[in-house]
Amino acid sequence: MSTDIARMRNIGISAHIDSGKTTLTERVLFYCKKIHKIHEVKGKDGVGATMDSMDLERERGITITSATTNVEWAEHSINIIDTPGHVDFTIEVERSLRVLDSAILVLCSVGGVQSQTITVNRQLRRYNVPFIAFVNKLDRVGANPFKVREQIADKLGHNAVLMQLPIGLESAFRGIIDLVTMKALYFDGPEGEDIRVEDIPAELAAEAAEKREEMLDAASMYSDELMEAVLEGRPTEALVRAAVRRGVVARKLVPVFVGSAYRNKGIQTLLDAVVHYLPNPSEVENRAIDLDQEGAEHVLTNDPATKTVALAFKLEDGAYGQLTYIRIYQGGLRKGDELVNTRSGQKIKVGRLVRMHADTMAEIQEAGSGDIVALFGVECASGDTFCSPGLNLAMTAIYVPEPVISLAIEPVDKNAADRMAKALGRFTKEDPTFRTHVDPESNETIIQGMGELHLDVYVERMKREYRAEVKTGMPQVAYREAIGQKVDFDYTHKKQTGGSGQYARVIGRLEPLAKGAYEFSNEVRGGRIPREFIPSCDKGFKAVMKKGQLIGFPVTGVRVVLTDGQYHPVDSSDIAFQTAAQGAFRQVYASAKPQILEPIMKVSVEGPTEFAGNVFATISQRRGTIVSSVEDGTFSRVDAEVPLSEMFGYSMVLRSLTQGKAEFTMEFLKYGRVPAYIAELLTEQHLEKKKKESQK
Amino acid sequence: MTLTVKEELIKRSPLRILEKSISGGLGKGNIGVLASRKGVGKTACLVHIATDKLLQNKPIIHVSYSSRVDYIITWYEDIFKEIAKKPKMKSALDTFDELIRNRVIMNFKQDGAKTEQVLRSLEAMIVHANFRAETVIVDGLDFAQAGPEDLRKFKDFAGRLGLEVWFSASLKKDDPLFDDRGIPFELADYLSVVDVLISLQHHGDHVHFSLVKDHDRLAPKDLRLKLDPTTLLIAKDVRARTR
Repeated sequence: MSTDIARMRNIGISAHIDSGKTTLTERVLFYCKKIHKIHEVKGKDGVGATMDSMDLERERGITITSATTNVEWAEHSINIIDTPGHVDFTIEVERSLRVLDSAILVLCSVGGVQSQTITVNRQLRRYNVPFIAFVNKLDRVGANPFKVREQIADKLGHNAVLMQLPIGLESAFRGIIDLVTMKALYFDGPEGEDIRVEDIPAELAAEAAEKREEMLDAASMYSDELMEAVLEGRPTEALVRAAVRRGVVARKLVPVFVGSAYRNKGIQTLLDAVVHYLPNPSEVENRAIDLDQEGAEHVLTNDPATKTVALAFKLEDGAYGQLTYIRIYQGGLRKGDELVNTRSGQKIKVGRLVRMHADTMAEIQEAGSGDIVALFGVECASGDTFCSPGLNLAMTAIYVPEPVISLAIEPVDKNAADRMAKALGRFTKEDPTFRTHVDPESNETIIQGMGELHLDVYVERMKREYRAEVKTGMPQVAYREAIGQKVDFDYTHKKQTGGSGQYARVIGRLEPLAKGAYEFSNEVRGGRIPREFIPSCDKGFKAVMKKGQLIGFPVTGVRVVLTDGQYHPVDSSDIAFQTAAQGAFRQVYASAKPQILEPIMKVSVEGPTEFAGNVFATISQRRGTIVSSVEDGTFSRVDAEVPLSEMFGYSMVLRSLTQGKAEFTMEFLKYGRVPAYIAELLTEQHLEKKKKESQK
Repeated sequence: MTLTVKEELIKRSPLRILEKSISGGLGKGNIGVLASRKGVGKTACLVHIATDKLLQNKPIIHVSYSSRVDYIITWYEDIFKEIAKKPKMKSALDTFDELIRNRVIMNFKQDGAKTEQVLRSLEAMIVHANFRAETVIVDGLDFAQAGPEDLRKFKDFAGRLGLEVWFSASLKKDDPLFDDRGIPFELADYLSVVDVLISLQHHGDHVHFSLVKDHDRLAPKDLRLKLDPTTLLIAKDVRARTR
């Protein structure tokens, strides 16, 4: 086990769907001797790639949950987090990025920079993650690594520079020229495990010299020493590597490597690049929030000898019981150590400590700062911070978007109900964008998430992993209600029919709030409403806004200004003022021009240009706005904003329309106003539903 | 006196001066060209023309040959911000989000996209996707590469679908750029296809507009418009009037 922090790497592998990321990871494990046989993703051998440890992933050929694994390469310990590519699961990607120090961005040599690549690039920027690029699938028809490098520069705005050249392309792809050593490399043996080093083929010598010069020019920007050496005509390997590394760590240079994971070419050299150019944990600055000092930022030291700070970034319920994946930012973990969960205040004792491979694991005694390991039997939620007693820090909160879609689920029998409850408990702990509650009116269990596929996957997992068979309803969009204009209220709640009565009067106004969901402002003077009842009013407004009168969805974007009121020395109470606030809201809501808002998704459709016209039509049929269409020769991308409610089943429509040649991604963008005719329809449906319920 | 602030803004826009000068506007089926050296402000003008249509709730298509869509989006945001700065404008204008619902950006690669392909995509947008734009802005077409026959195809297309199409043309040759009638030498071959030709030139600290061709008339005329160097909006040129 390596404990030297300089020989440690925490890397993620990020990419667009189908760029061959899982295949690449599989090869990495093979060359690092972690597995003894290579399985393909949609494998004919029925085994599936090793990193996709869930059955479901094997079946669908996508990677859902980021399993982490540790490998050794060139006396370095590398923790790899396999991140999912589909946008519906971006919370997983973002969580991984939080704990990574660097990444490999995998691009398809044919598709180049695609919509998902742009999303991932944005995430890498948000978390300030340095990365190198790997252009995969050079054996494919239409492979063009030069175009992809250009796109990384143009579309992603990076200073991208080729570190290698392909020898041949498409079916003639044979090997790689290393521009640092100026040697040709061939990957021999049945699985490409024997690297044969030769001189550069004569016909490629001129091109290699030219590209090397470009590479040296770019690298010299980060090292005066190298610049001098280049001028004197004798740059050494070590100087070049140090300069490139400096550029990468500063996120100013993106070296581009090439290969074909499927054909077993270029993987070992990529691993070398990870060791050469990506930062070790001590080269990355991490910050935590000091909970004792009102959220002041605290720079973590990486010092293994100091007090421990670690982040639980992933929970997994696997064959071995509950596993908590944890990243150590300073100090270390030893069996028997005592740690405090700074969110709950709970103390835990470090029990079994393991280093994970995708499906197997190795027990270890301790782990040092910078490392990623897993703990057994720890009760916590994803995103919790653990500290040594005496420290009270929280790693910066991970940005969690609000769910936009919900689905009613119903277990088929009593057994299924128990298992479903267990599964839901697990999923909500694992994934903060996945939520569940029981609707108090219909008594249905509702699950909420970031998209159709997101919820589908959890329903499938319930069946497979928990044997919980459930029936699902129609997916339901998470609408919101809002007010369109300012309105005054003056409402008296009075109930004085013998015994102790109730009396409260509230006066004020409701105003639309551009940013934020709710604001309460108290401008009552002279004790017209006693101070102890002000929070009661606040509470009353909050409660009534949970269900709007138009379609029963939460009302957001309201500022309540309470200006005046009246009370009764005997009959006024907390409850009376809450009721008055609710009554006031209900009374004036209709005159505040209430509106229905719906989630609008940012949709990107990519495919051959010949289908662009069809794609335009599908967007406009779905009440979508086409923002832009980009045509790049035979390939085109359409970016649009489309209401989520119109996107159900879109993947099927798109597939049949384009013979499966186009694909789309979508993510939540904003809430937008529903057009009047649809608002009417929704209101009618709501009234009907209410009528039915009251008849029951 | 029943004009809203927005109507007032549209009515008072310097673009009305432009329209008046070119016999009521470019007109359906016609081609307009803004010509100048690089970096003088053609894109700003095109975006201002497009925004003026958007304010009138008229859909537009912005065709561009640059490599990045986000640059174009930023142009619109900037121009809109400048317009919204005018007094009383803030409350009167729809939000920018609502305004750009009527805008589609179509981006093509200069050396990859043939004019036929561009027109096919435009037709798909207007006909299949039912995006009924009447104005199309084409920014960054390389005239030297495209040739007069390509512009002719645009004109036929504009005639068939009832569009007015505004182009920008970057002048790249050495000085002198213009002949004695104010026609750019580089665009002489295109003149028969172009209905309205306007040239932009630096005059001291601002950019000045000259009408070179107005439909059937070939008579250089000062448009009394300038590109305001701080806002990058088209504005009345007060100096031109007093001269």
